[in-house]
Amino acid sequence: MRKLMTGNEAVALGALHAGATVVTGYPGTPSTGAIESLLALDPPGVHVEWSTNEKVALEIAAGAAWAGRLALCTMKMSGLNVAYDSLISIAYSGVIGGLVVYVADDPGVSAGMCEQDSRGFALMSDMPLLDPASVAEAYGLTRRAFEISWQVGTPVFVRLVTAVAHTIAPVEVEEPLPAPAQEPLLLRDIARFTKAGAAICTRQHRDLIARLERAGQVIAGMGLNRLELSPQPGGLGIIACGVTASYLQEGFVAAGLDPDLLSVLRVSAPHPFPAQPVRDLLRHCGTILVLEELEPYVEREVIIEARRVGFAGRIVGKMDGTLDRVGEYGVAQVTRGIAVALGHEPQPVIALPQPDAPQPAARPITVCAGCPHRGTFIAINQAIRKAGYKKDQVMVTGDIGCTILGMNPPFHTVWSEVSMGASIGLAQGYVHAGTPTPVIATIGDSTLFHAGIPALVNAVQHQVPLTVVVMDNGWTSMTGMQVNPGTDEAFQPPGSRRVDIARLIPALGVEHFFIVDPFHLDEMTEVISRALALPGVKVVLARQECAIQAQRRGRRAGRTRVLEEKCTLCKRCILVTGCPALSIGERSVVIDPALCYGCGLCAQSCKLGAMEWEENA
Amino acid sequence: MTTSQEPQATFDVLLVGVGGQGVLTIGELLTEAAFRQGIPVSFYPSKGMAQRGGFVKAQLRLGREGSGPNIPLQGADLVIATEVSEALKGLPFLRPGGDFVLFAYVWAPTEVMLGKAPYPALEEVVEAARRTGANVHIISPDSLPVHEGVPVPANVYLLGFVVARTGLSRVLEPETVAQAIAARWPKGADRNLFAFQSPCLPLSASPHHPVTDPS
Repeated sequence: MRKLMTGNEAVALGALHAGATVVTGYPGTPSTGAIESLLALDPPGVHVEWSTNEKVALEIAAGAAWAGRLALCTMKMSGLNVAYDSLISIAYSGVIGGLVVYVADDPGVSAGMCEQDSRGFALMSDMPLLDPASVAEAYGLTRRAFEISWQVGTPVFVRLVTAVAHTIAPVEVEEPLPAPAQEPLLLRDIARFTKAGAAICTRQHRDLIARLERAGQVIAGMGLNRLELSPQPGGLGIIACGVTASYLQEGFVAAGLDPDLLSVLRVSAPHPFPAQPVRDLLRHCGTILVLEELEPYVEREVIIEARRVGFAGRIVGKMDGTLDRVGEYGVAQVTRGIAVALGHEPQPVIALPQPDAPQPAARPITVCAGCPHRGTFIAINQAIRKAGYKKDQVMVTGDIGCTILGMNPPFHTVWSEVSMGASIGLAQGYVHAGTPTPVIATIGDSTLFHAGIPALVNAVQHQVPLTVVVMDNGWTSMTGMQVNPGTDEAFQPPGSRRVDIARLIPALGVEHFFIVDPFHLDEMTEVISRALALPGVKVVLARQECAIQAQRRGRRAGRTRVLEEKCTLCKRCILVTGCPALSIGERSVVIDPALCYGCGLCAQSCKLGAMEWEENA
Repeated sequence: MTTSQEPQATFDVLLVGVGGQGVLTIGELLTEAAFRQGIPVSFYPSKGMAQRGGFVKAQLRLGREGSGPNIPLQGADLVIATEVSEALKGLPFLRPGGDFVLFAYVWAPTEVMLGKAPYPALEEVVEAARRTGANVHIISPDSLPVHEGVPVPANVYLLGFVVARTGLSRVLEPETVAQAIAARWPKGADRNLFAFQSPCLPLSASPHHPVTDPS
């Protein structure tokens, strides 16, 4: 049966049809859609969850696989960094059932965070990695990944890039396999499942290397890397990895090349390195072009292999400067690579700016109309002034998610972004560096649960003078509204229990703890400015639900209206809030009723009483 | 419907606009219609971090079995833009002789609204579009047809326009797009089908017809 689906859904369905019964993960663009689609499908007998963070998610999936099940764990590339400590250990132990780790990379950075190449983690952990070229391959290769994992006893990576994860395309869906029917295994084998001592660890290392070699044989048997040699030897050979293979055909047409005169190796399983087909290609061709997005992992191995077989021709790719380690690839990189390989004049891969062409307006992203974070950013800015400091004298560290949008105009509140939970650790460093002014850390609710708590515990233990503003909107919002431990129980899956941040913080030993409403600007400003002057660790919990989610249930925080006769068009409301629902009308500021959530922040910013706000109970 | 004797026609569409305008919905409906017709299809939406108000781009490729999701420069047969300034980002992808459809809505960023940042004039954008050698179609946001007293959704109106009046009409059947619309909004089918079919009416029969092609 042919079905339309995204690459994310293809991975999820591939896992389901391979017999996976435990699926865990943490939201992160571009990987989020995989678990979202399974939660919507709600397949019977399959446990699907958003976990607290990627490390926890992986440990749950590994536990299930050690008990003999098939398990899928999903994350974005940054999440793999979080999970990696456990992943290395799990890879060295191997698995009993099947474990597939789905990681999504983001070449070209459509969503934010480091443009890293997760294939490097496969090298470090000696795990096989499959790199599908298309949505259809994402489905098929996820099923093959479980077969490899099951047969060899190793966790396996399925790695997608955004262009595959987010693309919608038809997929030929195969017959689902039943989940393994046996009872869960409880296997006591300390030589496999502990790391105590050299004898155990060195044996596990040898077993790990042997498993990778065995996986290479299984992958070769499956024919996942496809080699086509031209009838005549001596010509151009192209190694196209992952999604780059999908641009070859158009590239050949654009370059005016007859595909029958070329040799092509399509690499969908780059790790372990497919040495045999690469050797065959090197022996057949005069010049090699390697196409892969981001880092030249495959290209380096090709160069090593070329030396082994005494290849004397040129190898074109990133190492000779032809292609870039940055950005997403398309047809332009194929034609450029071919041109250089054939000794022709290469074309630039991006559009050259036209000298007198009109430029698009800058569109810095900001928080949505009605977003409670808007109130927090304004209150922090006002509290800094109220406490007697200038804005550039007070460090405000930022964290991951919608809360980072405070870096942009009109707020300019947040200074830095590192990783989940890092704002609280970084802030302590600024204190210990001797910063004479107060230091503020900002963090969201899901981020606090994910990795912020250990840093907060550290601050309490060492009694670091610090103000932590927790922006609790009840949802993991930037990735499209997922539940987290703090989400209201009414919106959690049945049987879940809410973990209340308001009970958690005092339990950590935080002495100065305040709960505020970010839609009450004066009160929140007063609380933060007082907190800045107090000793020790202060936590301000700003609570108000994400306006997007609340509006989907028909909620409005209140009603705001402009009193036309009092408005002088001074634009202060727009300057302070930057709210997308406000615009400049002919005689007054105008509120777009379709966008306005009634948060009242514009009315509270008006000094002329030209706006009325009536808060809903 | 395409017949099996003819080689499959290819058609590439780039969509640009601002999150919240329904840009991706246009692409999803075209994708669904192509799938219903058995045409190979790939739809690659990309939106930035913001839930609303950020730059949105999407790439739809029709009739290409196994081709990658990114459209090359000067490769798009049709560029659909739903915002005047963002339209400029689509121009380098226009193929000479292709179609450029601009819904001339201005979504001014705050800095522009405050007079602190520049914003391109519609005439400049139209002129730049003309220089690509494409057929330029401008649709005014002030003259959407009215259904039961309310202007119709702009994105579905625009969808009707591109299916009826651009090269896309050689590839997609209006009937399958209408089926995709009805399947997506079982409750709002009437209103959305009215929006979709309005641009198909002959110009003289449609008093609200907003097409003002400056050529």
